[in-house]
Amino acid sequence: MFSIIVDWLQAALRWAAPLIVVSFGEVFAERSGVINMGIEGIMLFGALVGVAASYYLDSLLLAVLLTILVGAVLGLAVAYLTVSRRANQVVTGLMINMVSLGATDMIFAMMSETRQNRATTFPTIFPASMHDIPVIGPLFFSQPVSTWIAFILPFIAAYILYKTRWGLNVRAVGDNPKASATAGLSVIGIKYQTVILSGIFACLGGCVLSLAEVGYFSAGGMAAGRGFIVMAACVVGGWDPVRTALICLIFGAADSAQLRIQTVSSTIPYQFLQMLPYVVTIVALTIMVKHSLVPKTWGAAYDPKDV
Amino acid sequence: MNASGKSKTIRLPLLGDMAVSFGRTLLGILMGLVASGILIAISGANPFTAYGALLRGALGSRYAISNVLVRASPLLLGGIGVALGIKSGLWNIGMEGYMYLGAIGASVVGVFDLGLPSFIHIPLCFLFAMAFAAVWGAIPGYLKAYRGVNEVTCTIMLSYVAIYLTNWVVSAFPPIAEIGAFYPMSKKFADSALLPILMRGSSLHAGPFIGVLLCLIFYFILNYTPFGYQTKLLGSNPHAAHYAGVDARKQMVKIMVLGAIIGGFSGAIEVMGLNRRVYMDFVTNVGYESVAVALLAGGNPIGVIASALFFAALKAGGATMSIETGVSSSMNSIIIALCMLFVIGVGVADGRRQQKIVDNSKDDESESKELETAKGEV
Repeated sequence: MFSIIVDWLQAALRWAAPLIVVSFGEVFAERSGVINMGIEGIMLFGALVGVAASYYLDSLLLAVLLTILVGAVLGLAVAYLTVSRRANQVVTGLMINMVSLGATDMIFAMMSETRQNRATTFPTIFPASMHDIPVIGPLFFSQPVSTWIAFILPFIAAYILYKTRWGLNVRAVGDNPKASATAGLSVIGIKYQTVILSGIFACLGGCVLSLAEVGYFSAGGMAAGRGFIVMAACVVGGWDPVRTALICLIFGAADSAQLRIQTVSSTIPYQFLQMLPYVVTIVALTIMVKHSLVPKTWGAAYDPKDV
Repeated sequence: MNASGKSKTIRLPLLGDMAVSFGRTLLGILMGLVASGILIAISGANPFTAYGALLRGALGSRYAISNVLVRASPLLLGGIGVALGIKSGLWNIGMEGYMYLGAIGASVVGVFDLGLPSFIHIPLCFLFAMAFAAVWGAIPGYLKAYRGVNEVTCTIMLSYVAIYLTNWVVSAFPPIAEIGAFYPMSKKFADSALLPILMRGSSLHAGPFIGVLLCLIFYFILNYTPFGYQTKLLGSNPHAAHYAGVDARKQMVKIMVLGAIIGGFSGAIEVMGLNRRVYMDFVTNVGYESVAVALLAGGNPIGVIASALFFAALKAGGATMSIETGVSSSMNSIIIALCMLFVIGVGVADGRRQQKIVDNSKDDESESKELETAKGEV
């Protein structure tokens, strides 16, 4: 029983890692007033690009760099539509998701080699001998490097958001774009920066999803709603990077719990266990939301000519 | 009064504006088709041959057209469900989930031979389908209206739950599931619960015609009934709606449940008319496609008819295209989504009008703030 719990916690950290990486960017985008709903689709691209680059180019560094590039391009597309063209953010995100779902399936169909062969995954940073230390060995030292980075990111994000000038600007733009513009900030510019950032980290999160452990891409929506779960985590976490990461950890725990319970118990049909992360998300949204924390222009378009 | 008057002028663009917005939409679709053509070329097929195959597959014969109509059925119904939400400022995008629940509901009474004649058995299936979906839709409706939970995330999460629920029902729930089948599926529907085929040799059922009829009915409801007026008022100006005595929360729940009922009905039509069983994932992507249909139509029920038929033609033709030229079958959804991205990319004017209304409303007092949070993003 004890080993199952350790196993579960280890998987919880691993499953939470992609969510936390994605939330890093999304928190900034939403703080600046733009909900990037396309992160679900961008994650798919990240997962695919990661696997493809790792397999064909045989370099994790190139995989990460390519992922960043693709994420930036997709983030730019979302930023152009939602910020410059002031298109509806829900619509933009959903259509980006739809394009990504189709496009990743199409590209994956052309890369038959990656179906059978596993791509190189992120390595662990600690020597194998340390993996056997009871409890903390499997929990921490056996984690791939991506998990470690994921758990440092929220603190960096919190520092940027609360302690740097740029972070202050982001918050100002989200809460009062008109005053920010009057004070001489480029509202449009900052929104572009945050949305592109959210694209990059959504893509990286997808890469972590496919390259942290499995090394495969799977067609038909591998992200399985995780982008939307991250959006929920931002709301529940009150757009605070560290709290959002904690919520992501809870969702990751739900995700890994369903896999663990499936292996030990056959009394509950596995389909009901698979529902768990989604149900947990809805429940969390229902009971843990504080409306007072919403960025003031959350989801609204900014028109510089509006007085 | 002033506020509602203002919203009226905003919601009824001048004739010139309408022409511009129609032209923009066409331009967007054209750009989407060109961009998709480039993708087709990259994937190694000749885009002209591919689009030729698409056209033939959509309009080449009576059977092609009947195929388009069959594919239009879920798009028409899904589109009208989403459009109702858009009119009232809600994103009811869980159509996929409602369709699954509707299919389960229909199968609960549909797979058994109850000894009923068709004209009782079919409506009974529809009734169960709608009841199941209504309960499902009431969850996000209640959470949105009374707990302020964002309906986009909530409906999408519920769609995933619905998919797994269906998966369980058709693979492990003995009365309904076909145990030991090669693929998770329900038992075959009783003959008396199947929708009649309208054209010999095709799979054309009544679904698309019911869909068109419903679009017309909802056009009437939206424009000529108090319910429709309240719905539109809530969408265009929640404050005016509040002062006009509309119970925003109740109206939200009603709209969500109504959309869900339509979705459930649509799911029942799919399984009773086309598939004859409930398969594990008998619809995919319908959630996104319904949003695309409703958007292209600008939330207008009559427009839904046109855009649903257009997208259905793309999908039916796309299937032929992928068979004849080897282009991946995912190209369908890529074309639809790219068209929509270009349409929203070139169509800025309308978005700006809608946004201004929201901005005005933000200056109001606390009661309206509360409504605003309940309304969420626009």
